[in-house]
Amino acid sequence: MTKKTGAAFPYVLLVLVAAPFITMYVGFFLRAFGEGPQLGIFPERFGLSNFSFLWEPITWGLAETTIWVALANTILFASVSGAVVTVVCMLAGYAVSRIEFKGKNTFLVLQLFLHAVPGQILLIAIFFLLYYLHLLHKIPGIALARASLEIPLGVWMTKGFFDAIPWDVERAAMIDGCTRLQVWYKIFLPLVKPGVAAVFIWGFLFAWHDFIYVYTLLPGTAKLMSTLIQSLLATEVIDYGYLAAMSLLYMLPPLTLFVLLQRALLKVPIFGGKGI
Amino acid sequence: MMKVTLRNLCKYFQQIKAVDGLNLEIAAGEFLALLGPSGCGKTTTLLTIAGFYKPDQGEIYFDEQLVNDLPPRLRNIGMVFQSYALYPHMNVLDNIAFPLKLQKVPKSEWKARAIEIAKLLEIADLLDRKPGQLSGGQQQRVALARALVRNPKLLLLDEPLSNLDAKLRIFMRAELKRLQKELGITTIFVTHDQIEAMTMADRIVVLREGRLQQVGTPDELYDSPANVFVASFIGTPPMNLLDAEIEVGKGDYRVKTSHFSFSLPKEIVAKIKYIPSHGVVLGIRPEDLIIGEGNIRGLVYVVEPLGRDELVTLEAGDMRLKALVPSRLRIGLNDKIEFSFSVERVHLFDKETGKSLYKEA
Repeated sequence: MTKKTGAAFPYVLLVLVAAPFITMYVGFFLRAFGEGPQLGIFPERFGLSNFSFLWEPITWGLAETTIWVALANTILFASVSGAVVTVVCMLAGYAVSRIEFKGKNTFLVLQLFLHAVPGQILLIAIFFLLYYLHLLHKIPGIALARASLEIPLGVWMTKGFFDAIPWDVERAAMIDGCTRLQVWYKIFLPLVKPGVAAVFIWGFLFAWHDFIYVYTLLPGTAKLMSTLIQSLLATEVIDYGYLAAMSLLYMLPPLTLFVLLQRALLKVPIFGGKGI
Repeated sequence: MMKVTLRNLCKYFQQIKAVDGLNLEIAAGEFLALLGPSGCGKTTTLLTIAGFYKPDQGEIYFDEQLVNDLPPRLRNIGMVFQSYALYPHMNVLDNIAFPLKLQKVPKSEWKARAIEIAKLLEIADLLDRKPGQLSGGQQQRVALARALVRNPKLLLLDEPLSNLDAKLRIFMRAELKRLQKELGITTIFVTHDQIEAMTMADRIVVLREGRLQQVGTPDELYDSPANVFVASFIGTPPMNLLDAEIEVGKGDYRVKTSHFSFSLPKEIVAKIKYIPSHGVVLGIRPEDLIIGEGNIRGLVYVVEPLGRDELVTLEAGDMRLKALVPSRLRIGLNDKIEFSFSVERVHLFDKETGKSLYKEA
């Protein structure tokens, strides 16, 4: 008996710790699909009226927008950011993995140091940088800035992928007539394909759920999902059902990507994201 | 066909001299083996010839052209790596044709040439497989085909047989040798296995700690090793090496070990350059020992049957000697026996420098 109690103890503890979170998630789903007044987390009846934003315009300050505009903008923002992270990291990762140059170690240490700097600290500097480059208030410009935050860790990540490729394969390619760049795109990129996918998704996801950069650097000019949801919270009366339904939609693309490509993603250490 | 010349080639890694002052002429069409234990600098030498390492000193010439600064892709060489280094994402045909595609050879031509070389190496039925679906021997043939497809002027082989099983290795040894002679490509071949070097190469270069020990044909290395290292490295089972001294009497040179002594025959005396005062190392090949007759007494320590021959370890005084004898002798453990050796076939080395006391032939 005591043995059984002992074995059950960790499970009881884990359930207790997990219970509040599970309750919140269940409540969130119920709320999104619920209608009418709530009894605790349970709604009076179920329906799809909370999803009215899918076919109706949404108020945005004094103007109006639609969910589809916000969704398209967010996809553009996250895709550009993901693409920039991928291209830069794949090139830089190859260089630091395979080419000897002066200050390489310093460069690598600096990347880790940069990664440790919170992104918010850079906001003002980036604001002016984008202003002088005439990129302020433009989605690709902000996507570029967002991408730069993930590049330091991404370089380490891609270096790891390239480190795993034997030197002999690279030497064989160079004997066969490849230049360095040809080795990179004819041999190395195909070999680290899952890595390429993983880095892209990683860059995409961090941009997708970004709020502070979008909020500060794209004020009102372009509507993205994160700022749209924030604007729903910033009203005096919050319609939680509506908010939950829209958040559910906001969650769907990353969730789908993650499910589809989880095997590729498992190869990437998704630790220490900026979380802003 | 191309001649390769190394002049005072040096390659250092920080403090370590991986290759130290190597001078070598490789004749056009020659099959040359770089032989030595691991860490002797043979692979470094090969990679420097290929252009992956830049020599810290010295020059590499292909025919009369100085190639020190030429990148590997412009050297027109083929190379087979120990791990074969096939491109895992391409099928066999694409692997073989890759060097031609990079040269922008039209498709009909690269296809025809790749198939031709695949037929020569008997892998034409594997063309649409991926490297992961091939056995080690097949992968090696693909690697060889890829190295040969663009008719290189120089072929470099880095331990090409060491990942094959014993039977296949012996088979491929002969195949490679035949192929090299047929194609007539100057070939440099790195190995730590002296049998591979002996069986395949026209000439062998023995390296140790980055320094050249001896260059010569397999027979020269076997019959007249330049120093104790070469003597012990070449030949299986290895040469017996015993500490000895030479006593000079009236027209007589006597070699004395702790257990036996003998007079040197005239033809050997004639070859000796000098007699060191600090002692010598006496070398006797196992096959030069004669068991059952002679005046040296010993005890059979162990007998290892090898089929045609038997390898007998003898204990004589504080020495142990290996003898290669015909199997029919039927010797048992701990048998007391008498033995001798062919005195005209002994080797003598300076104990301090390790160098042979014989004049070079």
